[in-house]
Amino acid sequence: MLSDVITPDLFAAALRIATPLALAAIGGTICERSGIVNIALEGIMLVGAFFGTATVLATGSPWLGVLVALVAGVAISAVHAVASVNLRADQVVSGTAINLLALGLTGFLMELWYGHPGTTQPIETLPPVFSFGAMGEGFIGEVWRWVNGVFLSHTPLVYLAIAIALVAQWAMYHTRWGLRLRGLGEHPRAVDTAGVSVARGRWVAVLMSGALGGLAGANLSIEQVGVFQEGFTNGRGYIALAANIFGRWTPVGSYLASLLFGFADALQIKLQPFRDVIDLPPEFFLMVPYVVTVVVLAGVIGRAVGPAAVGVPYKKG
Amino acid sequence: MPVLELRDVTKVFPGVVANDSVSLALEEREIVALLGENGAGKSTLMNIVYGLLSADEGEILVDGEPVRIRSSRQAIDLGIGMVHQHFMLVEPLTVTENIVLGREPGRFGVIDMKTARARVAEISKRYGLHIDPDARVMDLEVGLQQRVEILKALYQGARVLILDEPTAVLTPQEVRELFAVVRSLVDEGLSVVFITHKLEEVMAVADRIVVMRRGAVVGEVRPSETDEVGLARMMVGRDVVLRIDKEPVSCGDTVLDVRDLTVKDDRGLEAVSDVSFNVCGGEIVAVAGVSGNGQTELVEALVGLRDAESGSIALKGTDLTKSDARSTIEAGVSHIPEDRHRRGLVLPFNLAENMVLGDHRVEPYATRGIMHPREITAMAKKRIADYDIRTPSEKVIASSLSGGNQQKVVVAREIGRDPEFLVAAQPTRGLDVGAIEFVHRQILAERQAGKGILLVSLELEEVLSLADRVLVMYEGRIVKEFNADEANAETLGYYMTGGGGAKLVDDAGDAQAAGSGADA
Amino acid sequence: MNGSRDAVTAQRAWMAALQKIGTPIVSAILAIAVGSLIIWISGYDPVAAFAALFKGAFGGPKQVGETVLRATPLILAGLAVGYGFRAGLFNIGAEGQLMMGGLLTAWLGVQMVGVSPLITVPVLLVFASFAGAAWAFVPAILKARVGAHEVITTMMLSHVARYVVSWLTAGPLKAPGQIPQTETLTTSAQIPRFQSIFPEGVLEALPFLGMGRAHIGILIAIVVAVGVWLVLRYTTLGYENRAVGLSPWAAETAGVSVQWTTVKALCISGGLAGLAGAVEVMGLHHRIFDQFSAGVGFTGIAVALLAKNHPLGIIPAALLFGALSAGSGTMQLEAGVSQKIILIIQALVIFFVAAEGLVNWFIRKRQKEATSGAE
Repeated sequence: MLSDVITPDLFAAALRIATPLALAAIGGTICERSGIVNIALEGIMLVGAFFGTATVLATGSPWLGVLVALVAGVAISAVHAVASVNLRADQVVSGTAINLLALGLTGFLMELWYGHPGTTQPIETLPPVFSFGAMGEGFIGEVWRWVNGVFLSHTPLVYLAIAIALVAQWAMYHTRWGLRLRGLGEHPRAVDTAGVSVARGRWVAVLMSGALGGLAGANLSIEQVGVFQEGFTNGRGYIALAANIFGRWTPVGSYLASLLFGFADALQIKLQPFRDVIDLPPEFFLMVPYVVTVVVLAGVIGRAVGPAAVGVPYKKG
Repeated sequence: MPVLELRDVTKVFPGVVANDSVSLALEEREIVALLGENGAGKSTLMNIVYGLLSADEGEILVDGEPVRIRSSRQAIDLGIGMVHQHFMLVEPLTVTENIVLGREPGRFGVIDMKTARARVAEISKRYGLHIDPDARVMDLEVGLQQRVEILKALYQGARVLILDEPTAVLTPQEVRELFAVVRSLVDEGLSVVFITHKLEEVMAVADRIVVMRRGAVVGEVRPSETDEVGLARMMVGRDVVLRIDKEPVSCGDTVLDVRDLTVKDDRGLEAVSDVSFNVCGGEIVAVAGVSGNGQTELVEALVGLRDAESGSIALKGTDLTKSDARSTIEAGVSHIPEDRHRRGLVLPFNLAENMVLGDHRVEPYATRGIMHPREITAMAKKRIADYDIRTPSEKVIASSLSGGNQQKVVVAREIGRDPEFLVAAQPTRGLDVGAIEFVHRQILAERQAGKGILLVSLELEEVLSLADRVLVMYEGRIVKEFNADEANAETLGYYMTGGGGAKLVDDAGDAQAAGSGADA
Repeated sequence: MNGSRDAVTAQRAWMAALQKIGTPIVSAILAIAVGSLIIWISGYDPVAAFAALFKGAFGGPKQVGETVLRATPLILAGLAVGYGFRAGLFNIGAEGQLMMGGLLTAWLGVQMVGVSPLITVPVLLVFASFAGAAWAFVPAILKARVGAHEVITTMMLSHVARYVVSWLTAGPLKAPGQIPQTETLTTSAQIPRFQSIFPEGVLEALPFLGMGRAHIGILIAIVVAVGVWLVLRYTTLGYENRAVGLSPWAAETAGVSVQWTTVKALCISGGLAGLAGAVEVMGLHHRIFDQFSAGVGFTGIAVALLAKNHPLGIIPAALLFGALSAGSGTMQLEAGVSQKIILIIQALVIFFVAAEGLVNWFIRKRQKEATSGAE
């Protein structure tokens, strides 16, 4: 049984499942580093997935769908930006409102545009970037099976997520934008008195998290499942928040934490066929990602402390 | 031509006129002191100059040209720099990162750290303000943090430097260093506005003194033309008693006995090390020290907000070492916290609800979990009258009161509980002279009534005028104890910075040079 | 000069008082307005849609009964979320706690045979609230001890609850037959409808007392709301709850245990949600099945926020959302507008309540016009 479970596919699945979490989590990192809590990641992902899918259904082009998903994510995150930065609303409540709005809006449009609730027609998905053949039997062949299987069998956004994690990490610590971002979340008044606009910095951060959330949604519908289904994000946005916390508010940390969650989920899926051996109902396996999230939050070593000013609306003067 | 001029600047907030037709001129290479008590409108005025607030009326001129300063960026571009009372520093970042934030050298958005460090070193050297460019600000002590703030203003090209209450966190020696720095900056061509409420500083450093009271300028003098008494009269509008006369201390039984107390801070480091002292009934013992030397942790341990690592705290024989805040209050310890907005009051609660805070579980205000609104209201009404708290009723919410009246609520509550022992931490911070006098009177009344009082204060004036005994705290230890008549600002300051061989013998066995802190 | 300044400061105080009551009303109106806009853009007639909605919610005794029916669990869910908010906690996972309350009710309620409903119903209510409180216990402890954000933990447990219900209704607790649902509750565990309480003659004379499917759970809900109000206002528990929610540092300094208050608050919140589940099962469904909670826990968030977390204000707020829910079927049938618009309006209500700044902006604009007129 073990050899049926520990296969290249297990780890490849981990990477695959981690990708939307990671994209959203990095968005959450950037947003929270600027001082804005973004509970709305769930809703942003859903909106991105929906409009991306709708675009592919209308145009037949998956890449255009990805682009529209990104734009849709930015658009809905703008609502959160207005509420959090300009109106100084409670950011958690605003985020929750957007999540519910996304659920309602996507359901409403589904019925309006496609005449029925539930699931859309299947769409053309993005194919994997590479497709290498096997390299024969023997030791080299086995190593190649693993390397190819785990790392080289993925669709574009999976690699994009890794690239974004690395670039964002570097940018956060070596660019003007990154320095100011870190200042915004810790002490926005210090940044304001140094002549940098707090509102603009936070708006940019929220919109960036919207873009990443939209990409996460695109990955889910256009790369993974190939359809849009009402509410199919299924709590991933919240898990992404936990990943950001576990990753200590850094892009690479968020990615690695997402990988952990992805692995747990991939493992759970791999074990399902062995239900009779393990003797648990299928629902118990499906619960795994959520339980793991709670356990992770419980055990986060040393209280995870986020940016000092996160969640507090900024007022001039 | 004045380098900075304000003409009839007015600023109104709901219910109060913060600045009333203020006119002020600053010449080149001049140090003007803006003097006034807390609430006089000095900070508001300078926040307008720095673009953090906008004036409702009036104009501002820089080098004779009228300007509209709508943001800090504009103020900086005009050559105006400001060092705020509460530092505008991002603690986890380094000195260099903090200084260059907003004007980072580099291309295409990438920061050129090498150039940044070089520029910081250059300015540092030029003005004689030495600092470690790679130190994290959170690791620096307060005096050095202020230096970073000044360097930041200089890096941004300030020709006018505004210092808002810069000496609040400094020892007397550090204050003298600051004055020297300010004078050398002026020699290099800067002009300085020095905001303060401390009379002796103004006499020592200013070329010209502008006195504000209740939002308006009430006078302009040169130090040579006046003295502290005259300035105080201008500041408050009446004669002010600068030193309180009190009866000699009559010590009763020991009320508080602290032995070998060791307390750790949030980071797990020892903040209070082997502290022992006692306070008898009818005595005020003051703890003097620069902020950050363990006073906060000591107070927290005494009132049950923080656990002690070792040692003991006893109140009239009862051991309170392991007691939490609730038990400590019930045992008879009252606490006037150093931050009334955070720890002293629930700002959205009304006055009655705030008055019963801490007593909300006990008779006569509650019985077995059910509260008695009538008793609470009656108590609140009585205290409002007794303590002359300016408010239309006890139903008003606390945030709508002035700072002085808010502190009166806290004092009324803590003293109204008739405690055995009172811990007062920075009880007059941010208050105007009238409120300061009031609080001091209440504390002295408790002393008269035979209670034990521990006063923790950063204001040496307050310590010297109220205390019967002074304990100087440095790096978590009591390094010196004085009787009231032996103490003065100079010697206190000396011990507050670790002078007198107070530095510890380190592991290698080399004793630090005695009096090394006295190089000032 | 001084006269106009006094006028300004006086007027600002008056406006502040108005804002307190006005904001929820304006928020509700704005939400419906934006909802109408969406309906119109989608090509439907908003007036017809809301007319149909109104008809479906208030058109007759049966419809009013439906509104009351749907409002019943919303009152309790709103109380649950609102109580948490008063302590500074966001119990977004009330849905999960509600499910657990309903689950326990469905399981126990099948076994209480031959006992009077006057005993069974209260007993089940108590057990259900413990179930809800228990489901909130882990998030409560985690929040108090390690500061784990209750939004994430309660939401995760909400998903887990969903799977638990799914498993039990299709497996161990499944009633005989095709549909995955539990067995029907015994009559002693059912909360009677208004229809069945009044004698025939009374119902003929006063038909509006019939009220369709509405059951006396509404009275239980109202009593609980008043109870929560009394607790918050007159007990030390309520006082400490509010103090911690508004200013945890000051509360701690005054000897209140913030950790313990947090645990109590979130557990009580969970208990109220469990109660909502119990009432819904005992009064309406009489069994549970997959997704029986139908988003009541999430609607409770909107109810609480609209009422500004005031226990008595939650009753009218719940009736509003009950009406929206009751009328949405008719709206879909007669005006063709998808029921999902209700979710959108719900979200908009939450949004506008949170974005008080927008409402304040309206008020301040009118204020400026008033003062410039005075000069």
